[in-house]
Amino acid sequence: MKDILSKTIDVAVQRFHAEYAEVRAQKLFKTMLTLKEERVEAVKQGIENGAAFRVLVNGAWGFASVGTFNAETLTNAVSDACKMAKAASSRLKKPIKLVDTKAVQDKVPLKTRKDPSKISIEDKVNTTSTMSKTILDYDSRIRSCTIDYLDLTGTSYFINNEGSCIEQNKLYVWSRLLAIAAEEGVFTYSREEIGSTAGYEIFDVETPEIVGERTAKRAVEQLKAKPPKGGTFPAVLGPSVVGVFVHEAFGHLAEADLTLLGSVLLDKLGKKIASDNVTFYDDGSIEGAFGSFKYDDEGVPTQKTLLVKDGVVVGLMHNRETAQKFNAKPTGNARAEDFRFEPIIRMRNTFIEPKDHSFEEVVEDMKFGYYLKIFRGGQANLDGTFQVGIQEAYEIVKGEVGAPVRNASISGNTLETLLKVDAVGKDFELWPGRCGKGQTAFICDGGPHIRVKEVLLGGSA
Amino acid sequence: MVVALKKEEILGLAEKAVNLAQRKGVDEAEAFVYQGLTTDVSIERGQIARSSRIIDRGLGIRVIVNNTIGFSYTNMLESEAVIEEIVLKAFKSAKASKPDKDWHGLPTKKTFSSVKGTYDKRIVELNSEDLVNIASIMLDTAEKTDDRIFPIEGNVGASYLCKAITNSNGVEGFDHGTIVECSLETIAREEGEVTPACFEFNIERTYDMNPEWVGKEAARLAASALKSKRTETKSTDVVFTQFAIQQLFHYTLINAVKADYIQRNQSAFKGKIGEKVASEIVTIYDDGLFNGGLRTWKFDGEGVPQQKTPIIDKGVLRNFIYDNYTANKETKESTGNASRAGYLSTPNVEATNFRIMPGNKSPEELVSGLKKGLLVYYLQGAHSSNPASGEFSVVATPAWKIENGEIAYATKGAMLAGNIFQVLTNISELANNERKIGQLITPWILVENVKVVGK
Repeated sequence: MKDILSKTIDVAVQRFHAEYAEVRAQKLFKTMLTLKEERVEAVKQGIENGAAFRVLVNGAWGFASVGTFNAETLTNAVSDACKMAKAASSRLKKPIKLVDTKAVQDKVPLKTRKDPSKISIEDKVNTTSTMSKTILDYDSRIRSCTIDYLDLTGTSYFINNEGSCIEQNKLYVWSRLLAIAAEEGVFTYSREEIGSTAGYEIFDVETPEIVGERTAKRAVEQLKAKPPKGGTFPAVLGPSVVGVFVHEAFGHLAEADLTLLGSVLLDKLGKKIASDNVTFYDDGSIEGAFGSFKYDDEGVPTQKTLLVKDGVVVGLMHNRETAQKFNAKPTGNARAEDFRFEPIIRMRNTFIEPKDHSFEEVVEDMKFGYYLKIFRGGQANLDGTFQVGIQEAYEIVKGEVGAPVRNASISGNTLETLLKVDAVGKDFELWPGRCGKGQTAFICDGGPHIRVKEVLLGGSA
Repeated sequence: MVVALKKEEILGLAEKAVNLAQRKGVDEAEAFVYQGLTTDVSIERGQIARSSRIIDRGLGIRVIVNNTIGFSYTNMLESEAVIEEIVLKAFKSAKASKPDKDWHGLPTKKTFSSVKGTYDKRIVELNSEDLVNIASIMLDTAEKTDDRIFPIEGNVGASYLCKAITNSNGVEGFDHGTIVECSLETIAREEGEVTPACFEFNIERTYDMNPEWVGKEAARLAASALKSKRTETKSTDVVFTQFAIQQLFHYTLINAVKADYIQRNQSAFKGKIGEKVASEIVTIYDDGLFNGGLRTWKFDGEGVPQQKTPIIDKGVLRNFIYDNYTANKETKESTGNASRAGYLSTPNVEATNFRIMPGNKSPEELVSGLKKGLLVYYLQGAHSSNPASGEFSVVATPAWKIENGEIAYATKGAMLAGNIFQVLTNISELANNERKIGQLITPWILVENVKVVGK
């Protein structure tokens, strides 16, 4: 396998004079399940093989992906990549360069206790059926539920012309639970996700009964919730909302490719953008977390990257191309969903570091505001405008958590909002999720509870 | 160069997989083969910096054993052993699953629809040099339009797609098509202000592109988003462009007409056929045969002919959309709305070309008729809408304030909140500028009385 791949790299360098050439080859196995209520829609299994070539010729990138390991087809594909690069280089203004990195030879085995590929399909059907049953039996007002399950195992090979040769075994287990409740024309919606790189043992902690009940309970309790008032209010964000806020509102702006596109962080390196109590990390080395791995898809070791320290921007997330541009070290953030995609800068596990406040201290001085506990979705723009939709929220009245509120959504400008963080809790939670940036990456985000002096809350009609 | 598999090869693969499954003793079997070849040139940070060629093809097999369903797929089409292995995996998956009492069989053979404007040889013949030329035109036009703008991302892509289906009821089909697209995203910068990213694109099934227009519009929009102001909190008339409508409808309205959502009590439209659900100027079709439509094909993901289905007629709800499974549940016929994510998935109910019929006024007339209002191009956060209730709370990035019939200035950070079903009844005008965007074909629409939260 490695011999065939190495030969294709030689073709790029010798026949097409590529300055840089890499190949990523993958053998992947997937099991997927969807349950709609108690009905198992289909049990699905997939086998995928493929190779992706990425080359630099005359300073431009060429990329080709094929679903085979056939030697002749691979040679054709690497030639395609080189010809693509050459075509693209014809209008190039500034040639692309990569920062130097140490060549790595390594083999990364799995450390799982319960390899999902060794678990029977019957077992997976049982686990997801229990989730579904728990949700449906929770309350008669639950109208429907959808359970998705995915496990992915396999091997990735990375070889480049600088002498790197890495073989990594991969493992992901993921599940999503959705519940819908309705009463008197009010529909509520609740979602939970589970994700791990450790193994099927995740279901020993996040048992189907525990996550099923958490999902169902939220959908039912939201039925009696009222719509929020629209306007500017002080707010306490729970770890799940903090996570999405850190990821969407700040994290994307600190992905160096997006920073270079002109994100509001471009001229903020070394400057203060947040309150003193705010410290951010993006960490790919947390054992078993959904966003963790040993080497990224450019063969760079992962690390714990400090992004904001005591309110000051101290780092960005890089690949080899942006690290060269910023004269920085690569941080191991180059990730590709699979062999069909080029690696781009992605987050791993992104979070705010906890400080010293208890939850009671975070809430106690608040006359009126909102406790935004669990997120529904989020999005941000390069100018720093962010939006985070909330699935579970409460009023805070005179320092006490009060009545539930539904369909809230917050928005604002990242930099303005970060300067308004006036309390950071001492608790900590990390939540698994999936992030889309033209391709999907498995990630985590989180932090402690935080308090923000004011944030714009979108009300309901 | 890596080349495409031919029609005979693809149909042969599908047939072989179904035969293998039948020999295993399954009750029913269906094979779906998908192949996509895409050549793409990308713009990054103001320059053409990369090009790619991606070939993705594979086969998915669905088998039914005693009313249990199993599915397996692979992209390793050269290997007979792997095809045999996935047939076995599909069989074992079915055995491990639970029977579905509502399963009433795969579709039977029907005559496929004829479609127009879905394949263009000129797109297949485009090479990366041609795409680089198109990208240069788009980029140069944008840069010439306004010197305060910076093109951040863009692409020009040409794809050839084909699909084949065979099932044990004698359904057999092959169809192919092309897609060409170009897009550009820009921001504008002036005196420390950075605008949100503004975006324009062309996407067509035949080779009909206007890269100059895309470049010019992307630049014009970003430049006009400069000098933005905050807006106040109040209800106002809003003109939504296609970008915004696509975002708002994708997560709410389109789901609400899917038979799957109706049957599972997740749709506010349940039991409302024949009732007025929208303003009487609103007529919507799901048109799987629309000339040159982005989702126009002869047959759907199960080999059922695609069709044109009236959804809302002059404000009255007429039909929902079905795949074979949901149709069987109500002893109805499938409307040809089974969709697949290539070879990787089993079919799901999905809209084809969801067409909101245009009106007579020009988009300029929609704006000039308003004393006060908002023109909303792009929305952020629509995916966090409540899909069951239709409630949304989103940010306009950016929107433009309309005063006395003219676009006065850009606004920043305005939030829009409401319910999509309320929006449908408040539609007061439809423009005549329909265009294709994702699964939607729509003109600009004017909606009265939308709540805007600002500060």
